[in-house]
Amino acid sequence: MRKLLHRLKNHSRLAYFSLWFLLVFYFASFFADILAPYHFDHQFRNKPYHPPTKIHFFDSRGHFHIRPFVYNTVVDDPVFKTYREDHSKIYPLKFFVRGKERKIFFFFKTDRYLFGVDQPAGIFLFGTDNYGRDIFSRLLYGGRISLSISLIGVFISFSLGMITGGIAGYFGGIIDQTLMRLVEILMVFPSFYLMLSLRAMFPLNLSSIQVYLLIVLILSLIGWAGLARIIRGMVLSIKEEDYILAAKSLGLSHWKILLFHIFPNTFSYSITAITISVPGYIIGEAALSLLGLGIQEPYPSWGNILSSTIGNLRVLGDAPWLLLAGIFIFVVLINFNLLGDALRNVLDPKNW
Amino acid sequence: MCLTPKTGRMERMLEIKNLSVLRIERKKSVPILNDINFAVKEGEMFCLVGESGSGKTSLALSIIRLLPKSFKIAYGEILINGKNILGINERSMRNIRGKEISIIFQDPAAYLDPLFTIGTHLQESFHGKMANKKELISLALQEVGLDSEIQTVYPHQLSGGQQQRVMIAMALINKPSIIIADEPTTALDVLTTRQIISLLNAIRLKHSPAMLFITHDLELAMEIGTRIGIMYRGNIVEIFRPGVQKPYHPYSKILLGTIERKNSKLVVGVEKNKFYNEQISQVCVFFDMCDEKEENCKKIIPFIWHNNETGVRCIKSGRNTQV
Ligand SMILES: Nc1ncnc2c1ncn2[C@@H]1O[C@H](COP(=O)(O)OP(=O)(O)O)[C@@H](O)[C@H]1O
Ligand SMILES: [Mg+2]
Repeated sequence: MRKLLHRLKNHSRLAYFSLWFLLVFYFASFFADILAPYHFDHQFRNKPYHPPTKIHFFDSRGHFHIRPFVYNTVVDDPVFKTYREDHSKIYPLKFFVRGKERKIFFFFKTDRYLFGVDQPAGIFLFGTDNYGRDIFSRLLYGGRISLSISLIGVFISFSLGMITGGIAGYFGGIIDQTLMRLVEILMVFPSFYLMLSLRAMFPLNLSSIQVYLLIVLILSLIGWAGLARIIRGMVLSIKEEDYILAAKSLGLSHWKILLFHIFPNTFSYSITAITISVPGYIIGEAALSLLGLGIQEPYPSWGNILSSTIGNLRVLGDAPWLLLAGIFIFVVLINFNLLGDALRNVLDPKNW
Repeated sequence: MCLTPKTGRMERMLEIKNLSVLRIERKKSVPILNDINFAVKEGEMFCLVGESGSGKTSLALSIIRLLPKSFKIAYGEILINGKNILGINERSMRNIRGKEISIIFQDPAAYLDPLFTIGTHLQESFHGKMANKKELISLALQEVGLDSEIQTVYPHQLSGGQQQRVMIAMALINKPSIIIADEPTTALDVLTTRQIISLLNAIRLKHSPAMLFITHDLELAMEIGTRIGIMYRGNIVEIFRPGVQKPYHPYSKILLGTIERKNSKLVVGVEKNKFYNEQISQVCVFFDMCDEKEENCKKIIPFIWHNNETGVRCIKSGRNTQV
């Protein structure tokens, strides 16, 4: 593992950076309860479409403050939602502030967050949405849902694809024919419509946990077929390799050969493939949420954050910072692609 | 069959009787091996010599029952320590592979899984008691002249010679009674070839397995073999003892002639297309190429044994075969 990291670093600094970026991001979403300044459904009713809060070091009289601070804001123009800073009082940025109690993953309770400011001022790194909710906090919480959907989804399709592709390729014959026809049936449908029709098979008024599981199921059901076909192709060629014959001559069973020799030799491709396919799951979830079929408000997911922000073009002209959320998600997805591309080379033993 | 009192093993460890192998090719069947008969005893180095395409590898793979799918064993018996392995199921066969019989292949780089360290390879080949594992692995490495530290290394980090030593260690680790080496030195340079050969010979003398050494190099076979089988187009045309007898078959003589005269131009060449399209021919296999053919040769020639150990597939056999 350490060797792999080292190789990745030597191969491409950029991809190495991507890896750390993604790890940090996953970590941040995981601990959103501590890191986010506000709970995802906390509303500042008097601050909808608030631009990103300015963080100051100098007050209005030109004094320097070592601790950064913000001003409270008041509505300037209620129609166009412009805000004006109220310079009468400064609200210093505080670390490990005490606030409303939240549960970290339903178990541990915490009432301290990494940073925040006293009410009624607010700190909105990416601004607020139409309900006056902090978009940055929602992105962190939403990442928890979107990233876990993609990870679980990828894991399920990867396992399904690996098992079916591996068995089909290795044993061949009638097993191969049956499995591949099944895969082809799945693959002839355009995946977007397949996703919609699968979703349409279930009622709209599901609980949020049911919707979550349903989305995971739908996305992995769509994703595994392509992977299975590719894995089958790879297994077909790997099983003819001399080292497979040698493994057989040692008296290893079919399962051991499949598990310990054939599958690992597909990894340089399949790990790359799944890394690159992660964005597909995130976008799939976003597409469902955008159409109102995915994660429902007030729960945040990247899909419904996008739909409530940049989904509305009219608002975008007046509140361009809403684009930040889109750019943020875009950057995460780009990093998956960069990492996947580099892994292709790093995992190939011929490059070691 | 008699038991040797010293080891309690059957004396004839590997015995092949009337083995015929076909390749099924779109409803047509092409003969690959035809009526192979020989036995290899404990401590013997039986060298199988033939040009490429003569069926040596197919014979080796028949013995461990790992022929490609299109190949069919049409007839015959293969006895390993007295047991006919063609009658047993795949699971019992797996217990024989690697334990009672192990095989060393031609190109070690291709036969080691690139993703796994040498240590993993050795552990995978080990079938014995887990308690002895570490000890026996380093013992096997020591025996083939490798350092124990090599276990952490990946195959591509080794030289061809080292890789082949690893293969030999893997073959050796379960103390099999039969070792097949299929052109183990063809991918190696001259000096490394020497080292590997003497290593194999040392192993034979120490553990006395039945060794089937496959090579296209008759000169090498003459040097190390206790007996030599000459293969031509899927047939064993002659079995003789180097140093004791001169080979008799016209094909063996041509092969030997190319060594003695250091003449690289081989007189015979297998006309591959012809071989493929032909059904089992109704004349002697060597008929087309033979300088000494007669009218009598236009029939299927049986393998004629001089004694239990040597013989020739030629009608003029038996005359003048002593040195
Ligand atoms: N996988 C295969 N598919 C088709 N034909 C093969 C295959 N392997 C070997 N043959 C054919 O079988 C015959 C014997 O080959 P082989 O046993 O490899 O000979 P050798 O090892 O003496 O070079 C040759 O005519 C060869 O062309
Ligand atoms: Mg060969």
